[in-house]
Amino acid sequence: MATLLQPEKVLYLVRGEKKIRVPLSQLYFCRYCSELRSLECVSHEVDSHFCPSCLENMPSAEAKLKKNRCANCFDCPCCMHTLSTRATNIPAPLPDDPTKTTMKKAYYLACGFCRWTSRDVGMADKSVASGGWQEPENPHTQRINKLIEYYQQLAQREKLERDRKKLARRRPFMPQAFSQHTIHVVEKYGLGTRLQRQRSGAPISALYGLSLKEGEDQKEITIESAQALDEVEPLPEDYYTRPVNLPEVTTLRQRLLQPDFQPAGASQLHPRHKHLLMKRSLRCRKCEHNLSKPEFNPTSIKFKIQLVAVSYIPEVRIMSIPNLRHLKESQVLLTLTNPVENITHVSLYTCEEGDPDDINSTAKVLVPSKELVLAGKDAAAEYDELAEPQGFQDDPDVVAFRKSNKIGFFIKVIPQREEGDVTVAFKLRHDFRNLAAPIRPTEEGEATSEAIWLTHHVELSLGPLAT
Amino acid sequence: MSDSREDVKIAAGAVVCVESDIRGDVTIGARTVVHPKARIIAEAGPIVIGEGNLIEEQALIINSYPENILPDAEDVEPKTMSIGINNVFEVGCVSQALKIGDNNVIESKAEVGRNVILSSGCIVGACCQVNTCEVIQENTVIYGSECLRRVQTERPQPQTLQLDFLMKILPNYHHLKKTVKGNSTPARS
Repeated sequence: MATLLQPEKVLYLVRGEKKIRVPLSQLYFCRYCSELRSLECVSHEVDSHFCPSCLENMPSAEAKLKKNRCANCFDCPCCMHTLSTRATNIPAPLPDDPTKTTMKKAYYLACGFCRWTSRDVGMADKSVASGGWQEPENPHTQRINKLIEYYQQLAQREKLERDRKKLARRRPFMPQAFSQHTIHVVEKYGLGTRLQRQRSGAPISALYGLSLKEGEDQKEITIESAQALDEVEPLPEDYYTRPVNLPEVTTLRQRLLQPDFQPAGASQLHPRHKHLLMKRSLRCRKCEHNLSKPEFNPTSIKFKIQLVAVSYIPEVRIMSIPNLRHLKESQVLLTLTNPVENITHVSLYTCEEGDPDDINSTAKVLVPSKELVLAGKDAAAEYDELAEPQGFQDDPDVVAFRKSNKIGFFIKVIPQREEGDVTVAFKLRHDFRNLAAPIRPTEEGEATSEAIWLTHHVELSLGPLAT
Repeated sequence: MSDSREDVKIAAGAVVCVESDIRGDVTIGARTVVHPKARIIAEAGPIVIGEGNLIEEQALIINSYPENILPDAEDVEPKTMSIGINNVFEVGCVSQALKIGDNNVIESKAEVGRNVILSSGCIVGACCQVNTCEVIQENTVIYGSECLRRVQTERPQPQTLQLDFLMKILPNYHHLKKTVKGNSTPARS
């Protein structure tokens, strides 16, 4: 469907910290600030972790412990598809009577896409369907854990010194008997990490996540420094002459997906546990309201809060493009859809000379000068056979057709360049009724919500000139 | 040279549905199942199909003339296309390979060209097109949109269970083509 609608041809400009041009389907609308927001000007927060194949939910602490991997599901090391467990019957001797054999079930992992099986790397079949598969151990785990502990201690010590210096500078009259315990308490009630991180662009120091738990012993951990060896194992003699067995060589992607081992041969590619995916919620940086909050259940695709731009802002779509010729005026048919339930008034303006937003357009555009009126979206309209005609007076030069909450209208395009794609830009101004406004005591006869006028900068890419 | 249906020799024990389209000089071995709407066309030479093969719907096995030679040219010798045992031709695949060994699987919508020789245990993945002029090594798997390859350690299992099931069920719903000698269709349940 995305290729039929071609949404990337119509871009809306988002005026955030960066000016971003994105199709409307990828934008969010903060109705408290009344502005468009893109993915780059909102803060992302992790809601929950889940496995994409078994859809098992996992709390964040458990996910961190398991290094963000599912306990039950495996990935094919060859094509990264999900592995499925298959069973075969093998004859196995009975434990009581070694001469008789009985059929026992043996399980192995197999990939449905590239037909990789766990027998290819020499993993023996297991007798239990799940839970029998182990990932190979990293030979350097012990050294890495020791290094992490040492640096955790170092980070804690540095933090204490920094705090001590800060407090000592601010309150010089502090009593000398200021215990370490009190310093911990101050830190505990200080700014949380989440609010600190929300300042976009603030760098996160490398040792940020490491901190000793409260009350842990401050024992000294020493590590031996890594030693540089003078002698290196020599290369085998036929290293340059041996022909390469191409199916055995792993691709870079397969190799780097297992950074612990990075095997060069395909017979050492072991399956790894599947990575967890996360559900995220988005929050506007300026007003701290939630823009998108999914449901907690991984099987549900609905949202608790879903403030997407498509349900608030009228959407422009390109319907038909005639042959465009250099310096000749042609008519392009566009459609405008009204997503809200009340009548919307839309007016279009051309960009003025020297508009700082208008950097991409390669053609002049003449937009209809009259205001376009869009009927509200009526969900029951398709069931209503005797729909009354809407009674809008449309200028046939401007409005091509009208259908419930959608109209088709013409714009005139004059390409200015001889080669290249034709891009036009214009401003779209419409009224927006804010239903989220706080309830104020209304006087008699006043409308419940006021309309504010929003202006968006829209760019259309109409494709190449006709030859 | 007449392309009459008498040139189709179906061994006893093979289940070939009437709705399948078999033209030319075709020999089909025992225990082979040919689904309805499968097409086996021997234009430029005979086709010999071994035992235990499974040819599914809309599969096309064609021994056609190479593209740059007119059908009426005199110096074209009819080359025999031979297909071994226990192969699977899944739905919608196109096979023009002249020599196919045993235990191969050509998955759905895959295309195998005329100059390819499949040895044994090869799997040509879904929608993969193999048009090179080479002998594919044993136990090779061709998969993915870029037709990546890898070698398996074991060949794919023969589909005996599926073949038995089909040989029991298909006669209940389809008429079968007559086999050449011995008993005709297997006993109906």
